[in-house]
Amino acid sequence: MSKPTLLLIDDEERILRSLRMLFFIGYDVRTTTDPDEAIRILREEKVHVIVSDQRMPVMQGSELLRIARETSPATMRILLTGYSDLDASIASVNEGEVFRYLMKPWNAGDVKKVVAEAAAIAEASFALQMNLEPALEAAGIKPRVLIMDNDESTAKTVHETLGDRCEIVWACDAQHAMEELAKQNVSMVVSDLMLGETNVDYILKTIKQLNPQTQCIVVTSFSDTSRLIELINQAQITRFLPKPVSKGIFARNLESMLERFHLVRSQPVLQKRQTVEPISDPAERVSAGNFIGMLGRLRSRIGV
Amino acid sequence: MNSQNPADESIFSLVTPIDALSPDIRLEEVTKHFSDPRNAKLLSLPVVENDRPIGVISRYLFMNIYLKHYGRELYGKRPLREFVNNTPLLVELDQPLAEAALHVAANMQFPLTEDFIVTRHGRYLGIGFVMDLLKAMEVKMRDNTAKLEQAYTQLKSSQLALVQSEKMASLGQMVAGVAHEINTPLGYVQNNVAIGQELFSQVQIMIADYESLLVMLQDGGTDEDRVTAQLQKVTAARNDANAQEMLGEMNGLMADSLYGIEQISGLVHDLKNFSRMDAAANDLANLNDCIESALNIGRNMLKNKVEVVKDLAQIPEIMCAPSQLNQVFLNLFTNAAQAMDAQGKLYIKSWHDATHIHISVADTGKGMPAEVVDRIFDPFFTTKPVGEGTGLGLAITQQIIQQHGGTISVESRIGEGSSFHISLPVARSGASAASGIETCAQVPERHI
Repeated sequence: MSKPTLLLIDDEERILRSLRMLFFIGYDVRTTTDPDEAIRILREEKVHVIVSDQRMPVMQGSELLRIARETSPATMRILLTGYSDLDASIASVNEGEVFRYLMKPWNAGDVKKVVAEAAAIAEASFALQMNLEPALEAAGIKPRVLIMDNDESTAKTVHETLGDRCEIVWACDAQHAMEELAKQNVSMVVSDLMLGETNVDYILKTIKQLNPQTQCIVVTSFSDTSRLIELINQAQITRFLPKPVSKGIFARNLESMLERFHLVRSQPVLQKRQTVEPISDPAERVSAGNFIGMLGRLRSRIGV
Repeated sequence: MNSQNPADESIFSLVTPIDALSPDIRLEEVTKHFSDPRNAKLLSLPVVENDRPIGVISRYLFMNIYLKHYGRELYGKRPLREFVNNTPLLVELDQPLAEAALHVAANMQFPLTEDFIVTRHGRYLGIGFVMDLLKAMEVKMRDNTAKLEQAYTQLKSSQLALVQSEKMASLGQMVAGVAHEINTPLGYVQNNVAIGQELFSQVQIMIADYESLLVMLQDGGTDEDRVTAQLQKVTAARNDANAQEMLGEMNGLMADSLYGIEQISGLVHDLKNFSRMDAAANDLANLNDCIESALNIGRNMLKNKVEVVKDLAQIPEIMCAPSQLNQVFLNLFTNAAQAMDAQGKLYIKSWHDATHIHISVADTGKGMPAEVVDRIFDPFFTTKPVGEGTGLGLAITQQIIQQHGGTISVESRIGEGSSFHISLPVARSGASAASGIETCAQVPERHI
C-alpha cells in the first residue's frame, strides 16, 4: 500500500518545513505557501488529508477548504491556525466543514494522531468512490428532528421547512431533551447553546455517541470562539448559525442538513468522516457520563 | 440685611425697606430725612408716587443744590419733584443676582452717589446698597470658580482614564494579533524540538549499536555470526535514507527554531515596551525604532493587506516618551490599514533638518472628505461604526505630539488616500548621546 498523501498549506515556510519533518515517515508530504497551487494539486492528485493555515494572503484557509470540499470531497480537511477569531471558526464549520480545528502551537503527538485518523478515513472514502448524489430517502422511515431552543421562531422555521417530511420534537429543557433522545434516535438536532439555564454543549458532544448519523445545527447568539472550536472537534456540529439568523438561510441549511443525514445513513464511511474527539473538559465529561447513564436507564425502562 | 452667605440668596436679602419720599414735599424737608440716623448709611433716598418709584435724590445732588449761592433760599421751598434724578437704578425683586449686578454695574456712576431701588412688579419695595450687591456677586463668583475648578479636576481625571482606556482598547486589539504572531513561531519551534527529541533518541540507539559493534570487534572472541548481524544492523541504519535526510534537515530546523525564538523575543520585547504604563518616562530614543516597534506590534493587522514602503533616513535621537510615540505610530498605521478596503500601500518616511525631525505616514486608502479632515483631531469624533472606535485615537495622538513640542497635520484626497505629517523638535538643549553626564532636555510634563 502506498503512503497517504498529505498536503500542507501555510504562508510561513518554517511551519511547512517543520510539519514536513513531522510527517516525513509514513506520508507523501506536499507543501506549498500558495493556495492556488494547493488547489491545482487537489485537482490533479489524490490527496488524503489537507492541513491549512487560516490567515494567508490571497485566500483564507476556510475558503481554501471550501474549494477543497468541492474539488476533492474525499480529502479530509483540517485547519491549523494560531488565530482564533469567531468569523474564521464559523466559516470553517459552515464552508470548510473541517474535520478538526487545530491551534498553533500544536502538540506533535496529537497532530500526528489526528492526521493518521484522517488519513485512514480518507483512504476508506476513496476506496468507496464517494457518491455524493442525494441519497434516496428510505421509504417508511420519517427522519426525526429534535429542537433544543427556547426561541419560538426557531421551532417555527423548522416546522415550516421540514414539517411535511419529518417528525419534529421541541424540547425546552435538558430533561425533556433527554427523554426525547431516550425514546428514539434523532436524525437532526437544531440547538441553541443555552437551554434555559443549562449549557447544552455536553449533550451536543454526546449525540454522536448515541447515533453517529445525527447532524447537528447550532443556532445561537453566543459567540465564544474557544467553545465553538470544541464543538467542531468534539461534537462535529455541521452548521453554526449566529442569531438572529435570516429565515431563508436557516431554511436552506435545514434542507441541506436533512439531505446530509440521508447521505450519511446510506454511506457509513461518511459517518466516520464526522468522528468526534473525546470530550476534553473534565466537568463536561462527568455531565456527559451521567447523561449517557440516565439515558440508558430510561431506554431500558421504556424498552427501546 | 447681613446675610451669612449672599451667594445662596436672591435680591431679597439685599433689600432695606426705607420709607420713600413723596415728590410733592418741599426740597428743604429732605434735610430731616437725610439726618435721620436710620438713614445714615443711605447715599440716596427713593422718591415714590402711587407706589411707583419715579426717581432718587442723593445726598450728593442735594448738597450741590444747597452749596449754590442762596441755594437753600432759592430752591428750599420748591417741590422735590423738580430735583430728583428720574433715571434711578432699578432692580426687580425676582431678577437673578448676576443680571441685577450686571445692570447696576453698567449704569452706576462715579463717584458712587446713589443706591438702587428694588421693585416688585414695578412697585417700590426698598433700597439696596450697590456695594452689597457687588459683594454678593463676588462671593457667588468665587463659589462658581470653586465649582469650575472642581469640575475641571474631575474632567482632567476622567480624561486621563479615557486616554488610558483608549490605550487599553488599542492594546487589546493588538494582543489578539500579537498572540497569532507568537503562535506561529511557537508552533514550529515546539514541533521542531519534538522532532529533534525523537531523532535524538534514534541517534542514541544508533550510537549504542555502533558501540556494541566496536566492543565485539575489539573483543575478538565474539562469534562471527553475531558480528555479522550487528554489522548488518549498523549498515542498515547508516543506509536508512529517511534517517539520513531527517538528520540533514534537522540542521535547518534548528536554525528555524532559533529564528523563531528570536521572533518571539522581539515580539515580547515590543509588547513590553508598548504596554509600559509609566508613560511619562522620557528617554533618548530614535523615532525610527518607535516606527519599527509599532510596525512589529501591528504586523498582523497589516499583513496580507498592506504593503509597507519604508524610507527611513538617519535621524538624531531625541528626548521623548517612546511608549507614547509607539502609540502614536501604531494608531496612524491602524487607521491607515482600516482606510484601505482592498490591498494598499503604506508609505512611511522619516527625515530631519536643522531643527526638526519629520515623519510622514501616507496610505493609499479611501481618503476623507474635507468636513472629516476638519474634525479629525476632535475628541470623540469618529467615522467608525459604534463600538469600534472611541474617537479618541487621533485626539490623543495630537495631544502626545503637542506635548513633545511638535505638530501633526493631515492632507487627504477622496479615493487617493491620506497623509499625516509629524514634526518634532530635535532636543532643545545641547543634550546628546556624546555627553552622557549632561542633563537631557526635558520634554514638557504630561498634562493629560
